[in-house]
Amino acid sequence: MDAGMIWEWIIKSIFLILFMTGGFAYVTLLERRVLARMQVRIGPNRVGKFGLLQPIADAVKLIFKEELIPAGADKLMFIVAPVITVIPALIITGVIPWGTSINLFGREIALSIANVNVGVLYIMAVTSISVYGITLAGWSSNNKYAMFGGLRSTAQMISYELALGLSLVGPILLAGSMNVMDIVQAQKTLPFALLQPAGFIVYFMATLAEINRAPFDMPEAEQELTAGYHTEYSSMKFALFFMAEYIKMIAVAMIGSTMFLGGFQGPFVDQLPWLGPVYLFGKVIVWLFVDIWIRATLPRIRYDKLMALGWKVMYPIALLNVFITGILVVLTTKR
Amino acid sequence: MLQAYLPLLILLVFAVLIGFLVVAIGHVFGPKRPTARKAAPYESGMVPYGPGTRRISVRYYLVAVLFILFDIETIFFLLWAVVLRDLGVFGLVEMFLFMGTLAVGLIYAWKKGALEWE
Amino acid sequence: MTEATLINPLDTLVDQFPSGWVKKDERPGYSGFIVEREHLLEFARTMRDDFGFDYLSMVTASDYLAEGKFDVVYYAYKTIGGPALIFKVQVPREDAVVPSLVALYPGADFQEREVWDLMGIRFEGHPDLRRILMWEGFEGHPLRKDWKEPFYEEDVKPYKSRWPEGKPVNADDRNPFNDNVQYPTGFDPERWVPEAETLLYSGLQRTTHNEEFKTDELIVNMGPQHPSTHGVFRMVVSLQGEKIVDLKPVMGYLHRNHEKIAERNTFLQNMPFTDRLDYTTSMSNNFAYALAVEKLMGLQVPERADYIRVLMAELTRIMNHFFATGFLLNDLGVYFTASLYAIEERELILDIFEEISGSRMMCNYFRFGGVVRDVSDEVLKKIHNLVYDRIPRKLDQFDAYLTNNEILRTRCEGVGVLTADQAIALSTAGPILRASGVPYDVRRADPYSIYDRLEFDVITGNHGDIYDRYLVRVAEIKESIKIVKQLLRDIPSGPILAGKPAYQVRVPAGESYGRVEGPKGEMGFYIVSNGKPNPERYHVRAPTFINLTSLAPMSRGEKVADVVVILGAIDIVLGEVDR
Repeated sequence: MDAGMIWEWIIKSIFLILFMTGGFAYVTLLERRVLARMQVRIGPNRVGKFGLLQPIADAVKLIFKEELIPAGADKLMFIVAPVITVIPALIITGVIPWGTSINLFGREIALSIANVNVGVLYIMAVTSISVYGITLAGWSSNNKYAMFGGLRSTAQMISYELALGLSLVGPILLAGSMNVMDIVQAQKTLPFALLQPAGFIVYFMATLAEINRAPFDMPEAEQELTAGYHTEYSSMKFALFFMAEYIKMIAVAMIGSTMFLGGFQGPFVDQLPWLGPVYLFGKVIVWLFVDIWIRATLPRIRYDKLMALGWKVMYPIALLNVFITGILVVLTTKR
Repeated sequence: MLQAYLPLLILLVFAVLIGFLVVAIGHVFGPKRPTARKAAPYESGMVPYGPGTRRISVRYYLVAVLFILFDIETIFFLLWAVVLRDLGVFGLVEMFLFMGTLAVGLIYAWKKGALEWE
Repeated sequence: MTEATLINPLDTLVDQFPSGWVKKDERPGYSGFIVEREHLLEFARTMRDDFGFDYLSMVTASDYLAEGKFDVVYYAYKTIGGPALIFKVQVPREDAVVPSLVALYPGADFQEREVWDLMGIRFEGHPDLRRILMWEGFEGHPLRKDWKEPFYEEDVKPYKSRWPEGKPVNADDRNPFNDNVQYPTGFDPERWVPEAETLLYSGLQRTTHNEEFKTDELIVNMGPQHPSTHGVFRMVVSLQGEKIVDLKPVMGYLHRNHEKIAERNTFLQNMPFTDRLDYTTSMSNNFAYALAVEKLMGLQVPERADYIRVLMAELTRIMNHFFATGFLLNDLGVYFTASLYAIEERELILDIFEEISGSRMMCNYFRFGGVVRDVSDEVLKKIHNLVYDRIPRKLDQFDAYLTNNEILRTRCEGVGVLTADQAIALSTAGPILRASGVPYDVRRADPYSIYDRLEFDVITGNHGDIYDRYLVRVAEIKESIKIVKQLLRDIPSGPILAGKPAYQVRVPAGESYGRVEGPKGEMGFYIVSNGKPNPERYHVRAPTFINLTSLAPMSRGEKVADVVVILGAIDIVLGEVDR
């Protein structure tokens, strides 16, 4: 370990955070443009070419908005809650490899921040944290809609986390490792989505619920709860929730691509390692597009049905999937 | 070995910094002209009746308790999944017993109506 | 209902009550029966149970200041069709108390509250007689003839003061907006605590706690500033977890006392004013108002005008149902996609309206005795293209993508159920009534204009849930297309207006009630004329206002997410609800 290593990590960390926040800004634009096109509209196209400066205009607007803290709110919690929500979203992708390694300025630089042997565990652990932010936001606002939104999202997230966790057991079984890099390398020939179709679908649906996207966007169900847990939030604190939601959207797409779609694997990636990130983000963008597409298409599921789906359908399916995968893995293992 | 986690720690530090930085930016640049009306909790424009946080339906707690039970069990799956190849049939049978217990628990909760959302 | 009641003509009704407390209304131009108030309940019960008048369509009152009495007017119908049973109760102005009919006809609930609010007639036995449209601190009852606003000028328009030396003066300059309100003495809006709020909150039903774990009941206001109440509408909801224990609608935030203003206007000035009721279906509103006044004037509408009228009314229905189904999907949480697709065709219909009337939404197209402008062949061709090509294609899209959508069905089926009996008792009208399986459609039950020669089906549902309301609306679009096709085929040429166009019409004294089957239900106007250029009494039977009576019974026991969908399926427009 030398100073160079530390600097490399620092630079990579800053890069990742900037990348995620920048990605967030442009995913919002992507979403608005794609939704507009799907709804026979045009979408924002005035600020900059193709509306490319729109996210910046939005950010500037939000910066100069007044911050309100409702009377009777728990002030400390009210301020800390959005920060707690955004932190896990930012750090969750730290274990995702973007590629093997490239040679830059005479240094061999690994295209991942950390290559830890319990990568999947890290992902699951960090995902759970963001629930706290949302619960606290709902509780500390002293607002009935917010409280309902917070409660709903808590119940929803934890219900779907079970199925989510079990759906990741499949890839671990197949790769025989919790190291994310190993899992990617194991998909060299075949992405796990083909070997684990049930697990893949469960993962996809569970993440939609986990990141509160349509058709599971219950906590912020505009129709009944106005804005759910962030009803009372304005200005940059609201922006943080918004940011967390979209960064999480990118993050789960990244994790999903890595666990099920072969991550940075693709043709010629061994010869040209810089293709790795390109493949990964190609997959991520397709994933995000599907998320947006679903939002444009489907009505919201009612809350009780959502809970029933999580516990009575997705969890048993995920359990069964692990069961079958386990048998197959043992049968195909050569001793 | 713990060295591998150092970059994650650095990342965490920066994430926390960013989080508070964003809040601070809003605090510095945003106007601050609070009034009593503005600070009132939003309830579709009406004065809220009763406090914002009340004793809430027990269902939510029930889900939380169930979650803790089942989530801990999920963690066992992860570890088992890593070493299944080495354990072979023995590991498989062991896990099925565990899974059976889990399934019984789920069915029990199901039949008891803990999963019904009233 | 026995067979004898079916053939029992209303002419001999007075003989059925020999004790003499039912009299025929024999004032010239008036019809119906006058019932003594002590016997009103008995009369209404007999009428409902023995004569089959199970549907109390309208309750209103009119103020006869000179005679010192109020008439409370009831219009009841049979859901099997036929003419109205009109009965009235006359009460002296100083003792304005009438027994409430809510126990017999729950649908009278909001209407009686409205009469109490605006006219100051107390309904004895009403379970919840609070003001409904005016705010709680309001002094007086504005529809009374002796009630004057602070800047009162004259009883009727046109006000002379607005035209000094032949030049118009803007009324806003004369009456500053803030000052044309009369506040009670010592009133400070910042400090005012609405007492009626507590009354409202405490009036909500409670559950009995048999559970082991006690949960607090949460009372939440949804609205007036809420994204899914379709305007400034408020629902006070008491929740047990996610379940709705009770709900009370609160309205009047958009109230402008339409009826008082209309009573100041001349008859013709009211035609554009009706546009503003349900601003999405102005043609239907025009139609009903024109019918009511024409009935008084005894005008015969030329054939071509009748065709054009029905054509426009049906196009309005198509447009409204697209709107309603599209935004129902919005309430279900589709992010605007379905609604934007649905209102694509609406735009084309609005283009047609613009072409013929000059305005897309506030059409002001009907006149007493006809319509204001003729429809060119070009426009007819456009309509032809719409009903033969675009709209059927859009309906196919609806069927393909929405009707069998899994989530839509699970969210809508079995939610917000209203049985046929409930729907009739609650005086619901339009698609809601028909979705509950009651084949009641004014176009068939009491045909007006040329509907008796047109061929179409009255669509009914079987379950009375939201999904059926959706299906009924979609099917009604299909029926409307059928009607429009027949109209395009048969439309004759000829005059479009009986007599000459006139600014001032002569309306003989008397009362009349004109009603049409508007897209949202029975749209009716109750007009009393005293021979002067202005209506003496002008009352709107607003379908969505009365349909809202069914909101609470439909919502109880449902989930909080369902209540917005239930509201959306009622298809309210606040311009009409609050008037």
